[in-house]
Amino acid sequence: MSKLLDIITATDPALRDRSIESFCLDASLKTLFKECEALDQFWRLCPNLYERVRALFFLYAIHRYYLPQKLSQNSVGHIPFSGYTVLLKRRFEEAIDIFLDAQKQQGQSFAISSALAEAYHQLAFQTLANQVRTSVRSVRGNQWMFRIGHPLDHPLRVLPELCEVDPQSKLFPIVKELTPVRMDLSHSGWSDIFFLGMDYPQGAQVLNVSIDLSIRGKDHGEKPKPPIEVYFRIIDEPVLKLTSVDLNATAEITSIYEVFDFAKDYLGLLKAAVIASGIVLPGMESADQPLSELFSRIIKPGHGIELVSKVNGIPKGSRLAVSTNLLASLIAVCMRATGQTESLTGPLTEADRRIVAARAILGEWLGGSGGGWQDSGGIWPGMKLICGVAAQEGDPEFGISKGRLLPDHTILDTEAVSEEHRKLLQDSLVLVHGGMAQDVGPILEMVTEKYLLRLEKEWHARHRATDLFSAIVSNLKKGDISGLGSATEENFFGPIQAIIPWASNTFTESIIQQVKDEFGDDFWGFWMLGGMSGGGMGFIVEPTRKKELQDRLSDIMGATKEKMQKAVPFAMDPVVYDFAINEKGSVAQLLRSENALLPLEYYTQVMPKLLRQEQHQLSQSRKHELSQLGYASRKNPELSGMVHALFDRILPSMEEATKVGDSLEELLKEYGFDPVQHENIRADLRSGKIGLAQNQLAANVEIRDVVKEQVVDATEGLGQSYHDSGMAALRAGEVAVVTLAAGSGSRWTKGAGVVKGINPFCKLSEEHRTFIEVQLAKSRHTAEIVKKSVPHIITTSFMTHTPIERFLQDCNSYDYQGPLYLSLGQSIGLRMVPMIRDLRFAWEELSQQLLDEQAQKVLESERAAFITWAKQCGEGADYRDNLPLQCLHPVGHWYEIPNLFRNGTLKQALAERPQLKHLLVHNIDTLGANLDPALLGYHIQKQKAFTIEVINRGVEDRGGGLAQIDGQVRLVEGLTLPREEIEFDLSYYNSNTFWIDIDMLLDLFSLTRSDLDNDEKVLTEVRKVAARMPTYVTLKEVKKRWGKGQEDIYPIAQFEKLWGDMTALPEATCQYMVVPRFRGQQLKEPAQLDAWLRDGSAAFVENLCTWE
Amino acid sequence: MKITKAVITAASKSQRTLPLQTLVDRDGEEKSVLRIIIEETLRAGIEEICLVICPGDEKSYAKVAGDHAGRLHFVHQKEALGYGHAIQCAQKFVDNDPVLHLVSDHLHVSRSSEGCAQQVVATAIAEKCAVSAVQSTPESALRQFGTVAGRSIRGKNNLYRIDRVVEKPTPTVAEQTLIVPGLRSSHYLCFFGIHVLTPLVFSILEEKLKIAQDPKTITLSDALEELAKREEYLALANLGWRYNIGKKYGLLTAQMALSLSGTDRNEVLSILVELLALREAGVSKSDSLNEIISGQ
Repeated sequence: MSKLLDIITATDPALRDRSIESFCLDASLKTLFKECEALDQFWRLCPNLYERVRALFFLYAIHRYYLPQKLSQNSVGHIPFSGYTVLLKRRFEEAIDIFLDAQKQQGQSFAISSALAEAYHQLAFQTLANQVRTSVRSVRGNQWMFRIGHPLDHPLRVLPELCEVDPQSKLFPIVKELTPVRMDLSHSGWSDIFFLGMDYPQGAQVLNVSIDLSIRGKDHGEKPKPPIEVYFRIIDEPVLKLTSVDLNATAEITSIYEVFDFAKDYLGLLKAAVIASGIVLPGMESADQPLSELFSRIIKPGHGIELVSKVNGIPKGSRLAVSTNLLASLIAVCMRATGQTESLTGPLTEADRRIVAARAILGEWLGGSGGGWQDSGGIWPGMKLICGVAAQEGDPEFGISKGRLLPDHTILDTEAVSEEHRKLLQDSLVLVHGGMAQDVGPILEMVTEKYLLRLEKEWHARHRATDLFSAIVSNLKKGDISGLGSATEENFFGPIQAIIPWASNTFTESIIQQVKDEFGDDFWGFWMLGGMSGGGMGFIVEPTRKKELQDRLSDIMGATKEKMQKAVPFAMDPVVYDFAINEKGSVAQLLRSENALLPLEYYTQVMPKLLRQEQHQLSQSRKHELSQLGYASRKNPELSGMVHALFDRILPSMEEATKVGDSLEELLKEYGFDPVQHENIRADLRSGKIGLAQNQLAANVEIRDVVKEQVVDATEGLGQSYHDSGMAALRAGEVAVVTLAAGSGSRWTKGAGVVKGINPFCKLSEEHRTFIEVQLAKSRHTAEIVKKSVPHIITTSFMTHTPIERFLQDCNSYDYQGPLYLSLGQSIGLRMVPMIRDLRFAWEELSQQLLDEQAQKVLESERAAFITWAKQCGEGADYRDNLPLQCLHPVGHWYEIPNLFRNGTLKQALAERPQLKHLLVHNIDTLGANLDPALLGYHIQKQKAFTIEVINRGVEDRGGGLAQIDGQVRLVEGLTLPREEIEFDLSYYNSNTFWIDIDMLLDLFSLTRSDLDNDEKVLTEVRKVAARMPTYVTLKEVKKRWGKGQEDIYPIAQFEKLWGDMTALPEATCQYMVVPRFRGQQLKEPAQLDAWLRDGSAAFVENLCTWE
Repeated sequence: MKITKAVITAASKSQRTLPLQTLVDRDGEEKSVLRIIIEETLRAGIEEICLVICPGDEKSYAKVAGDHAGRLHFVHQKEALGYGHAIQCAQKFVDNDPVLHLVSDHLHVSRSSEGCAQQVVATAIAEKCAVSAVQSTPESALRQFGTVAGRSIRGKNNLYRIDRVVEKPTPTVAEQTLIVPGLRSSHYLCFFGIHVLTPLVFSILEEKLKIAQDPKTITLSDALEELAKREEYLALANLGWRYNIGKKYGLLTAQMALSLSGTDRNEVLSILVELLALREAGVSKSDSLNEIISGQ
């Protein structure tokens, strides 16, 4: 019997909660494969959903973490393309069968295991998502909404009192809902993830507090108020009007279909609310009736609905669940208006709140987003414990999951937590937004995975978090806020980071340290609000010093952000809030007669458009409204700023617009932008001469995998003689390291424009380390061993040069002892609006990961919006609608090596160390690449211009590799392959690590060492070689930030030349070495970090380093 | 239990003219709606009828009641204070007896030879408790009716013991609290417009109206919800069909239903068939009607 199956099916918690690592670490390869076979049979037949999911996670973990350690490093395997294709189409079970079959045919290999790991992982999450979806749909009270598909069957009606205009003012009444946001005082290890709540209800518990907010400094000392305001009214046009005041977006919807188009504009949340509240029912999704037909049924003929939302300037990423509470608030107001709540105005009843919360979950699922189950806590009043509940007979979850989808809310009244203690908490806590906005999606997946695998450290941490939760609640009840602060801080530095190390970052820890230094014992503790730190955070302080801390935090966060803003992605400037506990929860009021007006910001948004219309085009009620508004703007102080605001909006500051344009022009000039070349590229792009499809090699080119003899296997080490040669060269100072750091690292922060090299990405040896620090630490380590300093060159570009230079100055180059050079890039490109042809090629011709059903719908609607955007802006036009630096791009890493000749860096290095003969060139994120003496020795002895490192391909290694192209062994870029499946036949992936013989390199450029003095010759020769290199058009993501922490990611086109194409030059002598994956793998996305830390990669890198 | 009294409510301003409309009854005779309802009660063994009306309506009602006028007792609801209050107005007439209650804007057609009200009264007498007629209704119509939840009583066809009564529930509330085992998916037991009320209902209404801030908010359903907690209260389903003559085409539908289940069935059917056929053939309405009228 399988031991792992025993763990999965055990009824005894002691056995069931055993971690997978306790078994797998010591198991032999054979045992692990046997376990895999047993687990694979088990999940296919197991009727119990949770056992099935756990078996899938176990299979994933074995293939991802434990098997690769035991497999031979040079086990080459080929992932069947057919399997990969069905994997992308989310047919996971089919993919698993194909991969298992390949494993049977080819034998065990890293490649197949990596593909199996991916398929099991995705299948596990899909199974979980399906379960949550089924539960959301089957919650009693939500089911009927999926049954009704025709407007004639609609069972709801808008309350008659909202459908009649006031006889005097002629205005329709407005229902206004005011809703607080919520803060989670406990952060009990992300226990509010739906799946955790459903599988481990006893561990799912949070202390959730509804609060009002105001922003210090901005709101002119205004008292905190409910941050969320939403408005509902009937209008005399048969349309659905949606307006988000904060996102400056408005839409007029006339068809049912459009209501389900979530990503078309910024109004997805409002649309989700209209659906989840039952106005347009989820069951009507593909109905082709006009909305007027539905409205004539539920309101009256010729009438429609207007919904307006406003969140009073609270920025995104506040960790206060603003968007979920906004959704809940919108749902509440729509439910009130359609008679689905006990009363139209006032607070909601407990039964109403539970329905609103269930509908908010439904709305989040519809909109493709996902909050935790505590997030709609803002609609409840004051403080409450929210806890998971075991599923009972009669619940739709019973027999499927241990817990219910919806938790229980227990309000802590003043008997549980006295008025005095509430006040004390208010007087001690400083709430802030640090300015960082991060995607917490991957974190929630990591938490779920670690929970299911019962990883030891993380499982203990979860128990500790539960203990701390009790301590937090009891301290709050006792009024011991200092004790509460200690507990929240211990939670942050202990369990939370043990479960997810990425919850913390340098920015947060630096601020905590500064506050500790300044406030000493009066600082009672740090408190993390949820998700990840760096956005919404709390600092608990002795009450008499709260004001002082608020002032200081503003400065501390501002200064720290200023220092780090090129290294860490910030979405906005930090803010400090004033807050108050809201004891009412969500409350509605009815605005009638002359008070039935919407907020000022709404009018400044819609008025310019209305002013452009002829009087007779305005509806009757609109005319009355404007006349009332004119009257009210004279009388009502809230509307008195109307005229100014309107002028500001109609005539935005011209000065500012000119300033942005100027600075882009300046940058282009400064960095040697070549407008003639740019126009040529544009013409080629528009004419279709270059483009994504044109990147590809001709279809008749023969592309084959290399054979064993064409590579050198260095995975199990090379001979001693190579090691000795390498050591001798290192001791003689013949080698320098070149780290390529000119690129924008767009995948690392999704185009946020942060300099990847100086991003403190991970804690190694107890401290957050930057990529550059790791690279220098490896050179330092080598220098110590060979007792000779190592010259280290970091290549930069317009984008990365100054930040890296400043950063190195500030940290004194991490006290690096050897020569350290920055090689500034000499080329720059201006990004362009992509061609629709290229967008379609990327989205339709290339294999795409199909997303979860609802998320895919959102993605498709987003893509349609991008096509419209490209059409409106003009295909191939300059991309200028962003910060200047975000409009520019480096032109590919090919240029980074010749730049060493052009900018004098190589000349200087050779002057200082004439014996220099070899370069080790690698990417900034290839953290395992170091000056390995044996690899170097091999390179020296074989006397090739380039010795290139490759690794065994895994499923995630896309982008080309090593191939025979018409008989020539060379590196090939993925984007040039005429058919995607070719890549899957290539055994090796290019890690872009090159050992280069300097003289042979110069020779390829028809240069000698002495020519480096001759700038003109260098430039001419570099241009000649550049002309032989292909130019690729690529689509990249670029982030545009706006509003309060809002971010949009646009696809833009740019061009680049890539260094790997040098291997195609017939005169270049090249050889290829297969190195271990730990050495060659690259860190491209933060989502890889957790696995990188767990699979031994991080430990491997740490061993290569000597820290400062 | 003996049931000889009935209460018919007809005081709602929007409905007061409905009972005065004329229809052709199943027996082929032209009658007012009120008379049809009165005859329904008489089949159930009722002797005295209390009509709750707006002041001033007595004459017109008495007129259309024809030879049944002598059985009528008129009670005024002086102000429009809601349905619960309207029933409560009949308390004196009821005088601690069980009563049959019907609304004046609905007509009922029975599936069997026994009248709908007759069956409800018979059940109430047999079970010695309050009984409401109910009908399985799709969720899209819930907003029009009081709705009950309960469990069917083993061995007694179509009879349910009621636990909950909610006036015009939303589908959400219905799904959460009013699902009755054995019904078709998304169907609920909604009031049919015929009840046998025990004296306790009137006491409950009195209590509720006394403490209510707005008497208009008190409905019969509120009282019946309370009744279910205090004494046995049953629902009898599947009696036949109810027709709301107050809604669009309500009167027409009711007329069709009466005719198609009565002596003129064949005649009305042939009219309908001809109407449909001529419409399909594209002949103008006036022509076809002329032909029908002239008997061609």
